[in-house]
Amino acid sequence: MTAASVARRKPMSENPDMGHPSGFSGDKKSNGAVSLPRMLVRSLKFRRARSLSALAALTVSAMVATALLTLYADLDAKLHREFRSFGANVVATASGAVALDEGMLRQVQGVVGADVTVAPIAYAVATTDRGTSVVVAGVDFAAMQKLDSWWKVDAWPAGTNDALLGQRAAGFIANEREVTLSYAGKAVTLHGAGRLSTGGDEDSRIYVPMAAFTAWTGVQPTVLEMQVPGGAERVNAAIAALQRAMPGLHVEPVRALVAGESRIVDRTHSLMYGAMLLIALTVAISVLATLSASVLERRRDFALMKALGASQGQLIGHFLLEALVIAAAGGVLGYVLGSGVAWAIGEWNFGTATLPRVSLLPVVLALNLAIAAAAALFPARVLRGLQPAALLKGE
Amino acid sequence: MKMVSEAQRQHAEAMLEHAMPVIQLVGVSREYASRSGVVRALDDASFTIGAGEWVAITGPSGSGKSTLVNLLGCLDTPTSGKLTIDGEEVHAMSGSELDRFRADKIGFVFQQFHLIPYLSALENVMLAQYFHSMTNADDARRALERVGLGARADHLPSELSGGEQQRVCIARALINDPPILLADEPTGNLDAANQKIVAGILRELHAAGSTIVMVTHDPEMAALAQRKIALSHGKVFCHPVQHVVVKLAQ
Ligand SMILES: Nc1ncnc2c1ncn2[C@@H]1O[C@H](COP(=O)(O)OP(=O)(O)OP(=O)(O)O)[C@@H](O)[C@H]1O
Ligand SMILES: [Mg+2]
Repeated sequence: MTAASVARRKPMSENPDMGHPSGFSGDKKSNGAVSLPRMLVRSLKFRRARSLSALAALTVSAMVATALLTLYADLDAKLHREFRSFGANVVATASGAVALDEGMLRQVQGVVGADVTVAPIAYAVATTDRGTSVVVAGVDFAAMQKLDSWWKVDAWPAGTNDALLGQRAAGFIANEREVTLSYAGKAVTLHGAGRLSTGGDEDSRIYVPMAAFTAWTGVQPTVLEMQVPGGAERVNAAIAALQRAMPGLHVEPVRALVAGESRIVDRTHSLMYGAMLLIALTVAISVLATLSASVLERRRDFALMKALGASQGQLIGHFLLEALVIAAAGGVLGYVLGSGVAWAIGEWNFGTATLPRVSLLPVVLALNLAIAAAAALFPARVLRGLQPAALLKGE
Repeated sequence: MKMVSEAQRQHAEAMLEHAMPVIQLVGVSREYASRSGVVRALDDASFTIGAGEWVAITGPSGSGKSTLVNLLGCLDTPTSGKLTIDGEEVHAMSGSELDRFRADKIGFVFQQFHLIPYLSALENVMLAQYFHSMTNADDARRALERVGLGARADHLPSELSGGEQQRVCIARALINDPPILLADEPTGNLDAANQKIVAGILRELHAAGSTIVMVTHDPEMAALAQRKIALSHGKVFCHPVQHVVVKLAQ
């Protein structure tokens, strides 16, 4: 026996040589004290300020992206796909010499089906007793009441000579009990039965029963407002059927959003993507700064792990995972906040409910993960060039 | 008893050199490129360290001690020469092979401890298991008990004294049962009392069969080792293996 043969180590543990794990999965039998998730959480908590600043930036990016994409998708749908959910969803206008008389009305009703509410409307510009011009509409109040049940009306007219006064139009009239209007030299006196307020054009009109209107003005209805029940397919079918059967009518759908609002959306379209890109860049730079500081602060920790046998891939993977965990948390948080912002903006600016879109969550998450991964790329290079020898030397 | 013939001494040296050298350097150099030219931090070093030996590396500041320890620890690779550790040619290994090799063969003890601040003493020990193979809390706890820290297992490094932190480092270095323990100034940051404790632990480890390579400035610590490897300007001067010779002669 030589002296050297004394030199066999006493085993410290019964752990046989297990071979190197390829990833972080080598702790299956562990009691969890040093598992990857636990290390991540501890590490993130330890540098709370840095973690929170990265989280804040990544929450903002997700929030802005969610808000913009939700609003855009929602307005786009309302503009191009969704039909108005209340009031008329199809409008037919008589073009040229076509008269929308009783016979024509029956024909239209036959084409679209009996369950469709069809309301004919005739328009004329009359003068009030104060000398102001006002749009007077001849309507079938029964049909109108069904079609526009959402109108705020204090009392629907019942008598043959009763008129419904729009909120603003009422201001042009001296005596609401005896409303005197003149059209083409012919005067008529109506009884103002109720007031109407919709917040739209209707407010400056005066609605008169069709029989009284035609007797007074001699003007025939030019517009048919229709409410087709049963969803988009049915509406599209009704429009197609009308266009086929009655070429003299100009038939159009009424979308959830009207043209004036649509212009805002179209104008902001490219602006929106530009803003999103800028915000993504800003956030990426801010996260990059945070992660760079974080990796520099921890060079020694990483050098130590390297000395303990961690591979390059493990270190970079560990670091990247930290960034991605923050990005995912920020993504979810930002998605919730952004959906709220979109709802508020939709409510205030367009008066329509903008509901959260779950389909955007993966998009926003992917965007956030991409930002974080891109931002982690540079700091990860620090890990690649890591020189544990120099870092651990002791200076 | 002390009288040992020259032939016996040579025989003993030959045995050490040829039987089970756990570390073998043949013409190993490490050069650093700097602005003022090439620095030869280690110059043509050739020696072997036998399994179970306790070697102290000494020399003035800047003589290349850390450079040598980093090479032995596979944290760095030689510019030229052959370095064999536990029978494997380290100088020819790739980066990832070195990572693996390091986890298996080397336990490090640093002057600055280098514990992960957000992990407890126990978890710091388990981190070494983690990068090696599997974590096992019971083994890790036993390792802490072995350095007298069983009661402090759940403390964070910031809650431990310097001496206690260094003992956690030793437990971490030992947990995977590596054939070589490398310590660069293990007591450099410790007071006399803690130095004594750490020295005691190293002595126990050596008695249990560990191979210890230790850099030290402290003659008292160096005296504990069986053999000194002195460095000066990157050149190696090996001292005779007196302890071994004495043992053989008994
Ligand atoms: N990364 C490096 N780049 C350039 N020169 C280096 C580098 N590391 C060490 N050196 C040089 O190599 C020589 C040996 O350095 P080393 O750190 O090995 O000395 P040492 O003996 O450990 O000193 P100390 O006792 O002060 O720790 C020194 O001259 C040093 O300046
Ligand atoms: Mg040194």
